[in-house]
Amino acid sequence: MLNDGDWLALWVSIKLALVTTVILLMLCTPLAWWLARRRLPGQALLEALLALPLVLPPSVLGFYLLIVLGPNGPGGWFAQWEDARSLAFSFTGLVIGSLVYSLPFVLQPLKNAFAAIEPRQLDMAAVSGARPMDRFFSLVIPQARQGYATAAILGIAHTLGEFGVVLMIGGSLAGETRVASVALYEHVEAGDYANAHRLAAVLLVASVLMLWALFRWQRKQTAGVLP
Amino acid sequence: MSLAFSLSGQVGQCRLQVQAQLAATGVTVLFGPSGSGKSTLLRMLAGLQDCDGEVRFGEQLWQTDEVKLPPWERPLGMMFQEPTLFRHLSVRGNLTYVMKRRGKAGDLNRVVNQTRIEALLDRSVATLSGGEAQRVALARALLAGPELLLLDEPLSGLDHGHKQELLGMVSEIARRVPVIYVTHDLDELLTLSRQVWLMEQGRIVASGKAHEELSRLDGPLAQRGDATALLYGELGDYDSQDHLQAVTVAQQTFWLPAAQPVAGDEPVRLRIAARDVSLCRQTPQDSSILNIHPVQVVGLREVGPGQAMVQLALGDQRLLARISSRSARELEVFPGAQLYAQVKAVALG
Repeated sequence: MLNDGDWLALWVSIKLALVTTVILLMLCTPLAWWLARRRLPGQALLEALLALPLVLPPSVLGFYLLIVLGPNGPGGWFAQWEDARSLAFSFTGLVIGSLVYSLPFVLQPLKNAFAAIEPRQLDMAAVSGARPMDRFFSLVIPQARQGYATAAILGIAHTLGEFGVVLMIGGSLAGETRVASVALYEHVEAGDYANAHRLAAVLLVASVLMLWALFRWQRKQTAGVLP
Repeated sequence: MSLAFSLSGQVGQCRLQVQAQLAATGVTVLFGPSGSGKSTLLRMLAGLQDCDGEVRFGEQLWQTDEVKLPPWERPLGMMFQEPTLFRHLSVRGNLTYVMKRRGKAGDLNRVVNQTRIEALLDRSVATLSGGEAQRVALARALLAGPELLLLDEPLSGLDHGHKQELLGMVSEIARRVPVIYVTHDLDELLTLSRQVWLMEQGRIVASGKAHEELSRLDGPLAQRGDATALLYGELGDYDSQDHLQAVTVAQQTFWLPAAQPVAGDEPVRLRIAARDVSLCRQTPQDSSILNIHPVQVVGLREVGPGQAMVQLALGDQRLLARISSRSARELEVFPGAQLYAQVKAVALG
């Protein structure tokens, strides 16, 4: 069906999506908790900055990332441990770019889920003998499981659909930075519509399946045990 | 075991400053109007609400200027106004949550029997009725193996039947574990309490034995439209022909309607609402009222336009009568006067 290059590109896409989403879930858990529970000066500005990837053209984001990750930015300095001049045009660079690009899609569902947990539930857990960390794992995470599912699916889906940022900082190295969306673009550029059709169809079906699974699961959750 | 505290704190617009101690046995009712700070005080005692001051429970220091024991280290069980069951767990999950975390976990079977929730154990908490959910919440509080139970208006929103059922359970539990019970419902105070703290605007304005506070003319309870006196008596004979139970209070016999003999050997509590008591100079002849007793006026006080509350001595116990100011004047009701009280209705409490 797909040729080897496209399978490889698809694999890079999936790997990127999974790595990015796992890191984002860990990163966004404390951040979302903090944003949902505290009211501090400057919080609105911080939230605006974190939501920027929602509105900014990906190419703008990609451009700045290129500067930051490049040999003259902090990325270049970090790259020396990898025996490279720059983090741009590397898988690590792609992961960093995707973290920024997909952050709001993971952060928002978690924040909403945390904000929906009643403070009384936490108080009751406290008088039932649960310490703060225990409360977080035994009460907050289970009660926010819908938020986690939504965050994970959106994180994966949005990273799979990444194009502009990858184009700017990826460089389309096979097996390293050539992701499915870029491979598709290159097929179209080369006039290879047959391969473009196949790859596009795979991406379309995968996306529909993922979102369908998410919405189905959410419906079940709301219809079932949770009030 | 005794509880002593002196606490102050600000919650929103409300400033709370309270100081009290009690020999923590039985039920102590924390009584006052909504917004008087009762729930806030309870949260402070549990360590859920920031405040300054000291809390000492027996030998344990729960809060001083230097240390503040967090809620999870205080040997408490607690119920909120809403059942607040953990939504992601089953009924059984709610119970084991507490048992796992409290070292001296209570006896699950005994608590489940006591609160009558055997049939609910495998249900999801979302499917419980209000009364069922509060019974589960009570069981969960008991399974913490508490040395003190804090109950914050646990019966609000329940119908009469479920209220009586839970009140009975709370009374039973209070034989072993001291209970502080927040309410603004006089009925619950009358049913439960031997000891009461009265709260108003963030302060404890009075504390003492419930029956004394209820009949104190200068206290807030006797000012109420539903002011009620609480008397202690001994069970006497049962008249099976007329279905009346005798209760002796200060050598006087009160007759109460009862379908069958009242069981029990403790002193029984009689509730007599002030509006059900009228006064007369002589023993009325041919009255339909069964309970007419000689009393002595202790004091009286205006409680509204044209309304007077009279405190009466029946032996060493106190009765209240709410009468019109005109009657008070015409009957010459003054401290020391000897009168007869006609009691229209008596309830066992």
